[in-house]
Amino acid sequence: MNTPIDKIIDKLNSTLTLTLTLTVAIGLTVTPLVQAADVKLPAAMPAYGQDKPIPAPKIVKKILANGLQIWVVERNGVPRVDYVLAVRGAGYSADDRDHPGFANLMAGLLTEGTAKRDSRAIAEAAQGMGGSVAASTTVDGMLVSANAVTSRAGDMLQLLADVARAPSFPAKEVTLAKANALQSLKVQEATPGFRAERAISKAVYGDHPYGRVQPTVNAISSATDVMLRAEHARRFRPDQTLLVITGRIGQRAAMTLAQQAFGDWKADGAPLPAIPPAPSIASPQRILLERSGSVQSTVRLGGTGIAATTDDYVPMRLASTILGGGFSSRVNLNLREEKGYTYGASAGARVNREGGSIIGGADVRNAVSGAALTEFFSEYKRLGTELVPPEEMAMNKRYVAGGYLISNQMQRAVASTLANNWLIGLPAEFLGQYVPQIQKVTPEQVRAIGKKYFAPENQSIVVVGDTAQVGEQLKAFGEFTVSDK
Amino acid sequence: MPVTRKRIIPALLGTLTLSLSAFAATPDQWTLPVSVQKLDNGLTVIVSEDHTSPTVGVSVVYHVGMRLEPRNRTGFAHLFEHLMFQGTPNAPKGVFDKAITGGGGRNNGSTRPDFTNYIETAPVSALESILWLEADRMKTLDFNPTSLKNQQDVVKEEIRVNVKNQPYGGFMWIDISQQAFQKWENNHDGYGSFEDLEGASLDDVRAFHRDYYGPNNAVLAIAGDVTPVQGFALAKKYFAAIPKRAVPAGSDFTEGLNTKEKRIEQSDALAQAPALAAAWKMPARGSRDQAAMAVLGEVLAGGDASMLYQGLIKGRELALNIDNLYGLTGPWEFDGPTLFTIYAIYKPTSSADALLAAIDEEIAKVVKNGVDDATLQRTKTRMLADWNNKLESFINRADMMARLQTLWGDAKVVNRIPGWIEGVTSADIQRAAATYLVATNRTVIDRKPVVKVAVSPPSAAMPATGEKK
Repeated sequence: MNTPIDKIIDKLNSTLTLTLTLTVAIGLTVTPLVQAADVKLPAAMPAYGQDKPIPAPKIVKKILANGLQIWVVERNGVPRVDYVLAVRGAGYSADDRDHPGFANLMAGLLTEGTAKRDSRAIAEAAQGMGGSVAASTTVDGMLVSANAVTSRAGDMLQLLADVARAPSFPAKEVTLAKANALQSLKVQEATPGFRAERAISKAVYGDHPYGRVQPTVNAISSATDVMLRAEHARRFRPDQTLLVITGRIGQRAAMTLAQQAFGDWKADGAPLPAIPPAPSIASPQRILLERSGSVQSTVRLGGTGIAATTDDYVPMRLASTILGGGFSSRVNLNLREEKGYTYGASAGARVNREGGSIIGGADVRNAVSGAALTEFFSEYKRLGTELVPPEEMAMNKRYVAGGYLISNQMQRAVASTLANNWLIGLPAEFLGQYVPQIQKVTPEQVRAIGKKYFAPENQSIVVVGDTAQVGEQLKAFGEFTVSDK
Repeated sequence: MPVTRKRIIPALLGTLTLSLSAFAATPDQWTLPVSVQKLDNGLTVIVSEDHTSPTVGVSVVYHVGMRLEPRNRTGFAHLFEHLMFQGTPNAPKGVFDKAITGGGGRNNGSTRPDFTNYIETAPVSALESILWLEADRMKTLDFNPTSLKNQQDVVKEEIRVNVKNQPYGGFMWIDISQQAFQKWENNHDGYGSFEDLEGASLDDVRAFHRDYYGPNNAVLAIAGDVTPVQGFALAKKYFAAIPKRAVPAGSDFTEGLNTKEKRIEQSDALAQAPALAAAWKMPARGSRDQAAMAVLGEVLAGGDASMLYQGLIKGRELALNIDNLYGLTGPWEFDGPTLFTIYAIYKPTSSADALLAAIDEEIAKVVKNGVDDATLQRTKTRMLADWNNKLESFINRADMMARLQTLWGDAKVVNRIPGWIEGVTSADIQRAAATYLVATNRTVIDRKPVVKVAVSPPSAAMPATGEKK
């Protein structure tokens, strides 16, 4: 079961993956919200206690002779060891123009056969170790994640190394994966969120590879086992790879296991070319994706953002939290708690290695599609023109600090955050420096971020909905191109 | 089934005693501290100490869910859950979330058939504020017409975004229960009809709070950076003064297994590929077959090493995915009629008949041959690891303990479940498969895409309801 916390925010701001599932809402989740700025805390409520110091994780680092980097964070919690192998550049950005989404097909097939094990043997081995091994894709890289009970830590790292280094892409498995990917694409086309995501990415990134993560029928149909093997050899290399190890394992033992599993891995050929910078300007578009009979409009706003390594990164994260990053964010309070337009609204930055985007959105009933856009733009504008009041600044800084402590409970989250930070260009130490840096951000910096990146006139709009129901309301926002894609 | 807590059936305890020693011998064991006290007003308090992080998880579980909502108020338990966040006379609308956000925390709530939970996690410096807020809304609410209207709107959008505007529309958990059960408590839509939601009044809200939200119908659990002494003292400080309230006697919503297969076809105006849900009624909570059903479900459909994954996604190549559900919770967290459900999106080149035949073949193998030692051991190893993993975060740890205390009358079940899983034999699984996973006890929905015509009517996004009761 998914952690219900931040469920709504995850829906918008997580990297789109093409895993196919039927959505199961386990239980009926409420995401409560408030008017943060004008609410006074009751005098009778006990004040917050003394904050304990915020611990920085102790990360032991080593680089093997072949260039593979290893970071180990020893923990003493749940009896499990977690691994994340991050391969920089091996993700969607390495896919050629004719094969968007190819990296995702490759990620799925890593665990469908190696020189030593067939698909079933991999699945059964992982199960027998009390864990799993699976690969996933981001625009900046590929992540192979694995975990096992403590007593099987060494066996699991061997399994991870096998699927990452020696996948065989058996012809039969490739054929089945392609057939299922084509069918899955059809299934996903039926969900409004998928179509909205594809259109807003394209509007923000244009022809840059960051805008090409969803597969096409042609891309899937023309993929072959030969291509998969060649691309794997080109993309997976130790000098572009980080292995993060967290859990109940001493750093010396962890380093020994890593040396055994990856010490004889050699890079082959020239490294991948660098990902070009993503656009910093995009001309705003108006797109209405027809969905006859839709009872809601799936509304997305999108503009260009920033790379993780720019100076604006930390204030951008705080500005995003204030505007649309949690239950008590401005857009959520406005569109849900005050207006009742939606189950949840969010907005904020998505940040990658070579640039990013500003994405906002909500699913709203047809009758308030235009009104919802008005409220979004009003909040975007306010962020760039008015200073955030001191109390709201403090609340959001404490929310960020608390979020760090809460996710730090989970060793898997620590491993994933370190690996993702590395993929987007942030050093290991950033994890421990993040909260202190957030605490230094000023209201003036937040306003400057709002003005620079959240200006309403720079945002594209995508609406997936029933043209007959919502077309008239959208006229105030410009001329929409209507499409059934 | 009574609303009061039930005793654990002795047969299950026997299994437990035998298997615990074997489990304790493995190096991957993880036993959690559990301290329990009951306040004079009937509130049960659980503390699970863990100082590895300067944070806490808090869960308040009320022993009321969808089964006990008023007859002409489908969806009311869930709407009420939303209203618990809408303020009180002491803490007006907005305070609850602001206080927890400002304390660095996160919070949420959810509604299930047998319980409703309210959960928070935060740096330990916010613990007293959280407990004050939870106690405050246990006393009374701000019964306010504006907030009621606001949340009626929000809940309707929730239903649109999760059900009405999505392909498949949650048919594998909403529609299947409506088809499989006989009693209203079990077979009505827990999300609710718009008509019933709109009909909810402030009097309904007052009555529900009075009847089901008293301390004697609740469990409070705190996990994390707090000692039992501190935790119990804080619970007393904030909750002890709340008087206990009379809880209405619940209706009898028990049902036996079904005796005739039910199979229906639905059309789906939004879906592009057909899907199937097959559900069987489960043994009651505490039955000697409960642990066997948990392991059987994992053997059949727990991930890509499972029989149905290997047999239907691979092998026969009939379906795109396959997954399972135990009601709206899991194999341990229910206390009334519940379904074990398998659901899949299948290929247009296949059919519901082919899928069901394949599922039956795999089940028949289990009935005939049982499960071999290697498969059983692998399956249990991952189930035990998954159980631990689920309890890693303090919010889940507190919540699981509060749920188990509410449903089993004993939070320490959290440390016994691993032993119950370990104790399941191949013969137990054969027996469970032969008893429960039979055609007569099965309800099936075959959900098919509507063939698209040029113009769809405005109601096209609604699932076809013609065959529903």
